[in-house]
Amino acid sequence: MAEEQKEAKPKKRMTATQAAASIGPMVKEFITGTLKARAEGKQKLAYTFIVCHHEEIFRAMDVVPIWTENFAGICGAKRDAERFLQRAESLGLSRSLCTYALCGIGFDQWREELGQMPPDAPWGGQAKPDLMISSGQILCDPRSKWYQASQQFMPDVPIYNIDLPYPMFQRDQDHRDVWGYYHKYIVKQLRGLVAFLEEQTGKKMDYDRLRELVDLSDRTWNLIDETYKLRRAVPSPMGTGDAMNTMVPINFMMATQKAYDFFVDLKKELEEKIAKGEGEVQEEKYRLMWGGGLPAWFALTDFNYFNSKGASFPVETTYRMVAPLNEMDIPETKDPIEHLAWRWLGYWTFWFDKAKKRPGSEPDVERLINWIEEYKIDGIVMHEAFSCRTWHVGLIWQLHQLAKIYKPIPMLVIGKDGKKEKVYREIPSLILESDIIDITSYSEVDTRNKIDAFIATLESNRANKAA
Amino acid sequence: MTSYFAGIDVGSTMTKAVILNKGIIASIIGPTGPEQRRLANKVMEEVLNRAALSLKAITYIVSTGYGRINVPFADKQFTEITCHAKGIIRLFPKAKTIIDVGGQDIKAIKIDATGKTIDFVMNDKCAAGSGRFIEVIAGTLGVPLDKVGDLSLQSRNPAKISNICTIWAQQEVAASLAQGIPISDLLAGVHHSLADRICRMVNRLKVEEAVIVTGGGAKNRGLLKALSEQLGHEILVPEEPLITGALGAALLGKEIVEKAKQNSTPLKTKERILEEIKIL
Repeated sequence: MAEEQKEAKPKKRMTATQAAASIGPMVKEFITGTLKARAEGKQKLAYTFIVCHHEEIFRAMDVVPIWTENFAGICGAKRDAERFLQRAESLGLSRSLCTYALCGIGFDQWREELGQMPPDAPWGGQAKPDLMISSGQILCDPRSKWYQASQQFMPDVPIYNIDLPYPMFQRDQDHRDVWGYYHKYIVKQLRGLVAFLEEQTGKKMDYDRLRELVDLSDRTWNLIDETYKLRRAVPSPMGTGDAMNTMVPINFMMATQKAYDFFVDLKKELEEKIAKGEGEVQEEKYRLMWGGGLPAWFALTDFNYFNSKGASFPVETTYRMVAPLNEMDIPETKDPIEHLAWRWLGYWTFWFDKAKKRPGSEPDVERLINWIEEYKIDGIVMHEAFSCRTWHVGLIWQLHQLAKIYKPIPMLVIGKDGKKEKVYREIPSLILESDIIDITSYSEVDTRNKIDAFIATLESNRANKAA
Repeated sequence: MTSYFAGIDVGSTMTKAVILNKGIIASIIGPTGPEQRRLANKVMEEVLNRAALSLKAITYIVSTGYGRINVPFADKQFTEITCHAKGIIRLFPKAKTIIDVGGQDIKAIKIDATGKTIDFVMNDKCAAGSGRFIEVIAGTLGVPLDKVGDLSLQSRNPAKISNICTIWAQQEVAASLAQGIPISDLLAGVHHSLADRICRMVNRLKVEEAVIVTGGGAKNRGLLKALSEQLGHEILVPEEPLITGALGAALLGKEIVEKAKQNSTPLKTKERILEEIKIL
């Protein structure tokens, strides 16, 4: 077995908002909540994944979700993932697989081997589940295979897989022509989940409660959208560094009053900051978009480094897993399960119509273009995490496509003859490379060297931008 | 009174320094090494000796490269990307793309007519594609590093080296050598493999001529040939491809001084004492 040493404690990232600063204790609370629930044994606990539109079903049935990606992320942020990754490797799993999955599998194996939590497990550790709900979500194969691997150490824990497809973007086809079929299929999948949970818990689904929770989630979705749009202000009151905290209520606490209240408070805080002219960066020189990729959880202080150079991040595509419901063209229904399925389809097809109107565009690229304009973006930063194929494969392609179809920025530069001439430049972009939790993939010196060079490019554009 | 400007580029493998007034009056290239990184003052001392100048005669000093923060007497630091761009546009006014094949990384930089960076990519995660790759292979084949390029040009049938990982390629080359494949063919194969690796990264940018190659890799004619073929562009190389970063640093220093004069603003400089860095 590989040596199981803990790494040095990371530096804490400075947050711009009080709301973001309050997230750490909140996460700790729900991790310890799962441990308490395990000890009490009154509720069933389920391993599961984010962005499946199934939280309402869990909560309506009093099943406690254990977000396994979240726990792996916590291990990464605490720089304490390596010993679990090494354990998974020693089981014969390659380091090039999803490191969230490796961390979780390594942890599960260790916990089951010991019959108790591994020593000094982050925030008390990840509780053993009663059931596991996986979901492939089209591209992410670890979301199907992870729990199958973990089941080797927990053969008594059943797995239920829900399949949640959505139509692929096709320029010559209206997705509404086919989404009815998808809807029927997803509804069947979600009803299957309900039946499985009823069987496991011995309780019947309370559909009135489910309807209330779905309504609460919908209201939270719209509130998040309104709140995040406040970040369009100059200077922007909140950046992506903070959004990597505020993703917690979006992704792990949906369908709870606490998540709704959190965004009521955050919205109020942002409005107050805007009124006072307070930004994430006081002297905001450059406005950047985090244009894709999960963050390096162990290196969130890189956002502070960007800030120290006058760069703020008013918007990010990562973890903004909501879209305004009133702008979604989805059919109305009183059946909460049917609504969940429509909301799923509405979210994933949200940019389809706009993308079709722009030659050469695609939904992901269209979102970048819209947000460049809405948030007055000067440059794009992406992160290629080597172990995540699902979300990271197309990032460079998106930048290439953006460069092809989006209007270049006019610049006035001094030519060789000493006279000013107008030239056009593409929006600058930076691709950072490391991983979500594997710290061995990361070099702070190299990363910051790249950031410095990127800032120099932004400064050159800023100084030469034509009116 | 003549103004002098110094640029010092502390790279991962080599440390380079340039002293400039209207043109380069002295330059030096030496291995960085574990101690050299702490002793940027020694490199500076040597280049000053070559220029027959004292440190006090230097109006402005700019440091660059990975070890730029380890130069306590530098008045300002810039990234090597900014400095390469500035140095190259001085040498090649029509330059649009720079490929720097350094000791332990490769960079590609797109620049505008004034030497400002428009876009860049860097490979810093892996030795594949860097000068280190060639050093390792040269060691395996027992060929002096400075002979590798020319020897590879004698090849009539370049070997196929499929591995881009330095360690695996080393094993592949050793195995091919055992099979009796000529060294020139192996080296040509290695250069093609290396050029392929570099092109994969460089092609993330839109490569435009003039394309300039700098760094230690620019001294290898075999690599330049393979790179030119695979990129489909003519490649130009500075007379001394290792000092372009240091040259750019010195030029940036000159610009800072000129701007301060123009705006009648005071020039902030460090005390002119040569000493090794105290905190690493």
